[in-house]
Amino acid sequence: MGEAAIKIENDRKSIFFDKVKELLPKANLSLCLTCGACASGCPATGLENMDPRKFLRMAVLGLDDEITEHPWVWMCSMCFRCTYACPMEINIAGLIYEARKLWPREKRPKGILGSCDMALKNMSCSAMGTPEEDFRFVVQDVLAEVRENQPGWENLEAPIDKKGAHFFLSQNSREPVTEPEEMVPLWKILHLVGADWTYSCTGWGGENYCMFLADDEDWKRITEMSIKSAMNLDCKVYLNTECGHSTYSVWMGQQRHKIETEIEIAPMVKYYAKWIREGKLKVSSDWNKDLKVKFTVQDPCNQIRKSFGDALADDLRFITTACVGEENFTDTYPNKSNNYCCGGGGGYLQSGYKDARLQYGLLKHNQIMATDASYVITPCHNCHAQIEELGQHHGKGKYRAVHLWTIIALSLGILAENERAYLGPDLIDVNLPKTE
Amino acid sequence: MSKDVIGSVMVVGGGIAGIQSALDLANAGFLVYMVEKSPAIGGVMSALDKTFPTNDCSMCILSPKLVEVGRHKNIKLLTLSEIESVAGEAGHFTVTVREQPRYIDMEKCIACGKCAEKCPRKVENSYNQGLNKRKAAYVLYPQAVPLKYAIDKDNCIYFEKDGKCRACEKFCPADAVDFKQQEKIHTLEVGSIIMSPGFKCFDPGIYERYGYGILPNVITSMEFERVLSASGPYEGHLVRPSDKKEPKKIAWLQCVGSRDIREDAHGYCSGVCCMYAIKEAIIAKEHAAQDLDTAIFFMDMRTHGKGFEQTYNRAKKESGVRFVRARVHTVEAVHGSDDLKVMYSTEAGELLTEIFDIVVLSVGLEISDEVKSLAGKLGVAVDADGFAAAGSFAPVVTSRPGVFVCGAFAGPKDIPQSVMEASAASSASAALLASSRNTLTREKSYPSELPVGGEEPRVGVFVCHCGTNIGGIVDVPSVKTYAESLPNVVFAADNLFTCSQDTQENIRKAIQENRLNRVVVAACTPRTHEPLFQETIREAGLNPYLFEFANIRDQNSWVHQHNPEAATRKAKDLIRMAVAKASLLEPIDSLQIEVNSNALVIGGGLAGMSAALNLADQGFKTYLVEREGRLGGHALHLGKTWKGEDVGAFLSDFSKRVESHQNIEVLRGAEVSNIDGFVGNFTTTVQAGSETREIQHGAVILATGGRPLETNEYLCGQSERVTKWHELEYLIENEPEKIAKAKSIVFIQCVGSREPERPYCSKICCTASIMTAIRLKEKKPDMRVYILYRDIRTFGQREELYRKAREMGVIFIRYTLEEKPKVEKHGDGLLITVKDHVLGRPLQIPADYLNLATAILPTEGQKQIAQMLKVPLNDEGFYLEAHIKLRPVDFSTDGVFVCGLAHYPKPVEESIAQAQAAATRAAGLLGRKTIDIEPIVSVVNEEKCIGCGLCEMSCAFGAIRLKKIIGKGFRAENYSALCKGCGVCAAGCPQRAIDMKHFREEQILAAIQAGGAAA
Repeated sequence: MGEAAIKIENDRKSIFFDKVKELLPKANLSLCLTCGACASGCPATGLENMDPRKFLRMAVLGLDDEITEHPWVWMCSMCFRCTYACPMEINIAGLIYEARKLWPREKRPKGILGSCDMALKNMSCSAMGTPEEDFRFVVQDVLAEVRENQPGWENLEAPIDKKGAHFFLSQNSREPVTEPEEMVPLWKILHLVGADWTYSCTGWGGENYCMFLADDEDWKRITEMSIKSAMNLDCKVYLNTECGHSTYSVWMGQQRHKIETEIEIAPMVKYYAKWIREGKLKVSSDWNKDLKVKFTVQDPCNQIRKSFGDALADDLRFITTACVGEENFTDTYPNKSNNYCCGGGGGYLQSGYKDARLQYGLLKHNQIMATDASYVITPCHNCHAQIEELGQHHGKGKYRAVHLWTIIALSLGILAENERAYLGPDLIDVNLPKTE
Repeated sequence: MSKDVIGSVMVVGGGIAGIQSALDLANAGFLVYMVEKSPAIGGVMSALDKTFPTNDCSMCILSPKLVEVGRHKNIKLLTLSEIESVAGEAGHFTVTVREQPRYIDMEKCIACGKCAEKCPRKVENSYNQGLNKRKAAYVLYPQAVPLKYAIDKDNCIYFEKDGKCRACEKFCPADAVDFKQQEKIHTLEVGSIIMSPGFKCFDPGIYERYGYGILPNVITSMEFERVLSASGPYEGHLVRPSDKKEPKKIAWLQCVGSRDIREDAHGYCSGVCCMYAIKEAIIAKEHAAQDLDTAIFFMDMRTHGKGFEQTYNRAKKESGVRFVRARVHTVEAVHGSDDLKVMYSTEAGELLTEIFDIVVLSVGLEISDEVKSLAGKLGVAVDADGFAAAGSFAPVVTSRPGVFVCGAFAGPKDIPQSVMEASAASSASAALLASSRNTLTREKSYPSELPVGGEEPRVGVFVCHCGTNIGGIVDVPSVKTYAESLPNVVFAADNLFTCSQDTQENIRKAIQENRLNRVVVAACTPRTHEPLFQETIREAGLNPYLFEFANIRDQNSWVHQHNPEAATRKAKDLIRMAVAKASLLEPIDSLQIEVNSNALVIGGGLAGMSAALNLADQGFKTYLVEREGRLGGHALHLGKTWKGEDVGAFLSDFSKRVESHQNIEVLRGAEVSNIDGFVGNFTTTVQAGSETREIQHGAVILATGGRPLETNEYLCGQSERVTKWHELEYLIENEPEKIAKAKSIVFIQCVGSREPERPYCSKICCTASIMTAIRLKEKKPDMRVYILYRDIRTFGQREELYRKAREMGVIFIRYTLEEKPKVEKHGDGLLITVKDHVLGRPLQIPADYLNLATAILPTEGQKQIAQMLKVPLNDEGFYLEAHIKLRPVDFSTDGVFVCGLAHYPKPVEESIAQAQAAATRAAGLLGRKTIDIEPIVSVVNEEKCIGCGLCEMSCAFGAIRLKKIIGKGFRAENYSALCKGCGVCAAGCPQRAIDMKHFREEQILAAIQAGGAAA
């Protein structure tokens, strides 16, 4: 007993624990058996000498002072893998969410705070603060360029504020701001299947850093803005772009903040799979028959484990094998709802804890290395960014992360040269569209 | 209750519990119908490799019971059968049973195995958990009872292809295959029903995390039992399924499907998995040809039963089994191999990864949907977990009068507890149907014995082919011819199956026609078949001891199958020896002793009262001796049972019933000072104050109870703030103002238990402390309540209490033996320092009260009583039963039984079940005027005896003692009723003054000499 003793005072209340218990009535934190299943499966175990079991224990013992402003709360990605195995179904991510609130708002990680505040700046809800008109300009500009320069796409559309469109498509800010041509493959896919879709000038931003900031009020504000925008346009489906956390923030935000709507909140992957099954997307893996480029997938926690489950994970594999060939796909182990979080979620990329994030990602890295894949398909922007970095940092470029739309478009033969930023030299000129 | 009481009982389910119930009742004068849905009885126990904690071979201890059921005149077996409906009421039910066709005529089948051999269809062998294949014509397992083949209709080509194949039919030598068999409906009248349908293993496939069904080397504990078993898919060679490689590392993951509140899993603890995992790990290490690393991943090690903690300690220290306190999140595939990766967090929070060859999932017990629907048909209520709802004070009574329950259907439990409950269910049935006892059973009558004394030996020899088992190796006709040439042999024959019905008739005829006075059968093994042939010759008028068995299958043709000539020679040798011995055999009269029908119960606690009341209800005069002035024992201090029943209310009613029962005489303030005699005839001296009483009785039940350890650890006895056991409950009850003022109360568990000096778990303390903690929290929700423990052992459905206590905010802190909590006085109160097991940092907890769960010890004076009765005690001073698994209330010494805390610490319902079981066993004895005792006993030749006393010293049963003969000094005297026929006295006697009947010196010597003579 070398360490200083923890003095329990009978009169002191463990305010934090009692509050969390009240907020999370179903997930009774007291039930913890201290079995360690959570810590056994958590990539954040050991960071800051902390793990989910210890953190919960500190809360149970009322060590509020030690919990308050503990950096580990930003090193947990709230991926839910602990709860997935917890025999008492304890919502540890919920506990961490509340513990993030123990940081004064202004002291929370600057990156996350900034992204949240940016989204509140205008009606776009873009974490990069992009104003509505800039968005409209970029979309129209890129569209005009494609119509002009890519033969066969003269009729491509990218409607904005189209009243009565079936799908409301959200857009991650990364593309319009930093790599606008990356928007095009998805437009092409929607065009091919004849989808009736629209962007909105307001609430188009497919991010929600206020959720990561544990700022309930602003999480709600952004989600409300997005859903209202879709409702104003009389859309039937809120179609989330390939972004895990934004899918979750809208899907969960709608429930958590009791936003009334009839709109279906759906992930992109579900519709890709549907369109392939219906024969609307005639993807082919022939391009990879001789190349034999190996692929694996990442299951974004926010879209799979935390919301749409194994059914969506199966869709993801169905799409992947259809595009790259069964024989060129190797799954990770574990996978689907039990897959490891890559470490890109929970605001990690913006939190400033880079060393912890790369350490966290080691499990994911080793898992990918075991598949021997050259590409990891990531239908999530945060997974994409993190896995791309893991591939560079730990893997010395052994593998790359790639959006699903890139691979679908590639296997449809419609992926233009300038839409291949995330493909390596091996695929840079494979299955290019015919130029006449 | 029906007025027309039927003297028969239906036992539903032929596992170990059902078997025990059936035997108890059939032996107590009731006709038993045993309904079993599979083709053979034996249940899960038959499929286990070994049993904990003694690591006995499961089949070896079960098999004699299977045979006894199969042979019992008053047990009717209905296999492939299930209950359709039940009408009527307690005492008289009408049960409809649907029996599926076996497609094999049971009368004709000789179990030669030809049908299975010739059957072309291979199907998954469910008995081996699907690890290998069997045929569509099959026998469940080699020792199955009934040993009759069956055709699996769902997989049979005949039924698939409209009458094609018929290979089994063509090759069956007994013409036993019958494809025309139809389903049968039986309507049976019974007085009561005992449900013992057992459990099924949890299916871990619902958790993809463990990889079960995906990764071939992730297997369940039940599969692992079959892997270890010599009759299993790999014939006992320890290899893994995927590539049959011998493993170097095996992991067990505990609590798979148990202690897990998710949908499809179970919140309760399955109660047996910790022990079976330890057993499997130890046995695996023994089986392994190379160094085997075994690791058990667990949360709380629950070794709460008798002898369990010691096994746990031995597994750690002697066998080197690793125990890792961690619940594993996921079993991962290792890319490119069949190995398995397990990542886990150490207690310190460090992530470690290990690679294993096999991962065994310790799956829990659950009630199948079929059993739940059966309960529905019977109108028996089940609880939320699917177990039959039974109260603590009537642990085998279901919601429907006349229907009783035992075994795992009444809650997760191990074999001894199932066996105890089975006997308790028998006693409840017997009490209900007492008026119709012996109305439907039949006793066999035999012709009077032919006098053979003085006659020249005329030996008949019957040599068995046993299908091809013997005949395929040994030249049976030549052996038969050889037998005819032996001295004294006047008749010899060879038979395809000597055990078949028609051969018995032939043997009887041969005895009569050839005036045979000795019979030798050369066949399989006396282990299973000697009683059958003894019966046969008895029916022909010969004394059953004029029979000798030559074991030419198990000990000859099976072991020498590659050397037929030598096997034939050995068969001749064995028969020559058997004939030589048989020629000298003498008739032995059955030994009968009269039985005094009174019972003595020592100890007037809950167990003793339960036993006494049950015996009295069955009509036996019972003396109940209690040391204190008041009945009730420790139950007087109990508030509620763990199920929430009021013990006090029950006890006062119960004591009244005991005290006012016409068949019970209670002796209060009384001590036993001497016990003399033997089964059926005991004389006990009881001292009550100044009065001395002598009581004559036929049986004695020891229910002498236990006591809590007195200690001075943790300031016990030095601070009024430190209490133990129920003293805190007393404060809650009687000084509520003190409790109202308290802000913090701490419990310390395992005080004096699980320590080198007392290496056993006191079993009930975790539950008791948790119940008190819950009570405190209910009274005062903001009170801080801490339980400092080593492993929480809320076994079975008690786990719910542990869950509830946590939910209410009771804080559990685990300490180790090496780092015990420190208790100091602190102002008016106490300060307790203990290291938190998760944070690894010391916690200082101010406490108003500290309650200690001290060890439970056997009562004082237990040792003296054990000495009076010559019954053994274990190392800790508790009575040591005859067999920890299958004879949990008996002793090797007949007529003495045990129950309650005197046997081992246990909760109320277990004490009561065990008491009822002890009463059943005693009633089985007391209900008879005389009992037959095994007449193969020691006989002293008084002329040769010099009275040295060596025999008395060496006899473990007190069956041979010195007596003083005037003028001659001392001479040994036999107490045949106590003699077990072991022969130790005869072997040790320097004067060769002692002979063993049936194994007399000249008989054995004759056999040996014949063995040495050339053929």
